[in-house]
Amino acid sequence: MKRSLLTLTLWAWSLLATADSTLQVENAWLREAPPNAHMMAAYMTLNNTGSGDAVLTQVESPAFSHVMLHKSEVVDGMARMIHQDEIIIPAQGAVELKPGSFHLMMPAPAKRLVEGDRVDFILTFSNGDTIKVQADVRKKP
Amino acid sequence: MLLFAVLLVACSRPEPPKLSQGTLLPSAKPVTDFQLTDHRGQPFTLKNLKHNWTFAFFGYTHCPDVCPTSMAMLAQVQGNLEKQDGLDKLPQVVFVSVDPERDTAALLSEFVPYFHADFIGASGDAQNTLNLTRQLGILYGKTEGSAADNYLVDHSAAIILLDPDGAFRAVFGVPHDPTLIASDFLAIKDYYEATQ
Repeated sequence: MKRSLLTLTLWAWSLLATADSTLQVENAWLREAPPNAHMMAAYMTLNNTGSGDAVLTQVESPAFSHVMLHKSEVVDGMARMIHQDEIIIPAQGAVELKPGSFHLMMPAPAKRLVEGDRVDFILTFSNGDTIKVQADVRKKP
Repeated sequence: MLLFAVLLVACSRPEPPKLSQGTLLPSAKPVTDFQLTDHRGQPFTLKNLKHNWTFAFFGYTHCPDVCPTSMAMLAQVQGNLEKQDGLDKLPQVVFVSVDPERDTAALLSEFVPYFHADFIGASGDAQNTLNLTRQLGILYGKTEGSAADNYLVDHSAAIILLDPDGAFRAVFGVPHDPTLIASDFLAIKDYYEATQ
């Protein structure tokens, strides 16, 4: 079921690829994780040039069993991660997924991803639009 | 009168440094002994804090965002300090696990040295972890509603600086800037040495 959904999503994306999109993704990357780390995080900037808000509701990737939308924040000196059901990219605006803020969190795959590897993500928005994003694995502070 | 003023200046203790990022404690707070184990399986106790400056960060290896960011930032602090002339010894950096249930020495031995070969990972049972964290004002706790083996841990994001007496000297809140932390460290070290 999951696989067929993914195939369907990819098919949908291929249709959208030719359409003018008001959503663009820049600078997508994953932080290389230490060996045997259980979790990884990915980051990117989502730009919305449209006149309405865009709502990111789901992210999938063939490289990961699942992808979660998360936000890190520090309140009163305490760092916490909060699950996000959605991430809203305001009309004519942008949201940066970056360390210490919004990010994608994934369980690390059995085969370790290292700097230079590339991973696909499929972003699904509430209006049904999907965007395929290729992210680089980077070592980065 | 002039002589009195000169004497006063000569005899007064140095002023505490003005820090860019850290907060210096009004007086150093001695730490009582604690029992942790390092990532090589060796005891890590108060003895390991003596004769070294120590940066301590409190996190967990299942943390993919804040903890790797802080550890990579601390590696940059070390990089900045390595370029300093006249610094005979780099501070040690210790990652103390606030998730001792999952953070075994084996996990720490892969996670911590990944960021810098000299970094030390340390963990202990719940009681021993609390014994140290309570002395340093570090808070942590599992996020409510998490599953038994799949949970997140909220934790203080601060970096703690301990002096070579093993006393709590300064705290660095977020956001962390490696250049400012390195320069603050040097100022604190100078002040410590001038007041010994």
